[in-house]
Amino acid sequence: MRIHIVHFSILALILIIGSLTFFSLAGNPQLRIVTGIAMATAYVVWGIFHHAASGDLHLRVVIEYVLVGAIALVFLLAVLG
Amino acid sequence: MVGDSVIGHLFLPQHTNNHRPKTLQIDALFVYFVLLLVMNFGLNIIGRSRPDVLGYATDIQVTQLLEYTNTARENDGLSPLTLNTQLSEAAARKATDMFTKNYWAHNSPTGNTPWDFIVASGYTYQIAGENLAKNFDTSRTVVDAWMASPSHRDNVLKPAYRDVGYAVINGTLNGEETTLVVQMFGATSTRSIVQAAERSPTIAPTPVPRTTPSAVRNETPVIISEAASQTDTALAYPFSGVARAFSRVTNQPLLNVSLFWRELALVFLGMLMGVLFVDAWLVARRRTVRLAGHNIAHIFFLGSFIFLIQWAQRGSLL
Repeated sequence: MRIHIVHFSILALILIIGSLTFFSLAGNPQLRIVTGIAMATAYVVWGIFHHAASGDLHLRVVIEYVLVGAIALVFLLAVLG
Repeated sequence: MVGDSVIGHLFLPQHTNNHRPKTLQIDALFVYFVLLLVMNFGLNIIGRSRPDVLGYATDIQVTQLLEYTNTARENDGLSPLTLNTQLSEAAARKATDMFTKNYWAHNSPTGNTPWDFIVASGYTYQIAGENLAKNFDTSRTVVDAWMASPSHRDNVLKPAYRDVGYAVINGTLNGEETTLVVQMFGATSTRSIVQAAERSPTIAPTPVPRTTPSAVRNETPVIISEAASQTDTALAYPFSGVARAFSRVTNQPLLNVSLFWRELALVFLGMLMGVLFVDAWLVARRRTVRLAGHNIAHIFFLGSFIFLIQWAQRGSLL
């Protein structure tokens, strides 16, 4: 349970820092896209570490995280592109 | 029974879908991704050839830009700027030059600086500045973005400036339908600079070096913007000629692409989060053991992206 709290705190930190960076880049859509890609990548990496630590890391799980990140990114690119 | 129906198979974890809703399985996620990618690509292609049907809604007016700029200055205890016809003509020349030579920069590829355009318009400045914006949808979002950017905010709130000129123009930049906003600031006498320095000793405006008129290109701007509906602007905008022609851009395509994607993101990602939540709740209650990603993590991630997408603005500043 404790490891879950630590992991989710790290995830929250990634998302908060990413969002704050995103908002600080008003008027620069290119850097906002880079920030979005960095957030999605960090999310996939977080997922891999989280499941590796939980002992249930599998290729299907990695693909799931990659697809969730990619779907969110397509929307962001569509709005900023 | 809901559990045995098609709806149950699609949206609830049960034995028919290997205890993971069909809509959350990897093949379904892959289909969403490919469909969204194809839709994005297709809408982009249609939007480039028919921006009147599928484009970005725009309503930017010089009168509003001036009002919001002066409100920001007054909120900071500064005197309002006066709309200057020569600076507006300089801004119009600059905007036209950017479309003609296809660049997005303060200095043109041929070496012209903003000050060249100001001098060419006949405005004798002691201090001057320039803010640029492209692809914003409203006057409010343009000024808000300038105020959020430290360097642009410094220009808007520089006490030494007395005059301002604007040009808003629609055209094609790097093959993309673009709305440009050029804002040029200036003061003609040293008196205003001295007054500003006395009022605010922490700000030391640096007068821009004067450029010799011989270096100035004296082109007649070509008006590219044809979308402006200028009936009510005619009542409020004091100038005629070039400056007036660049006083407003209004585009209202049949489908506003930006709004479409925002609303689709809200509905689609919102529904995905809803299914993830129900799935997480049922799996936890039934103590199901399965191999899948962490739903709560997905919900956090998608929720933060919905938030970013709703506030994302494709406009650029320079």
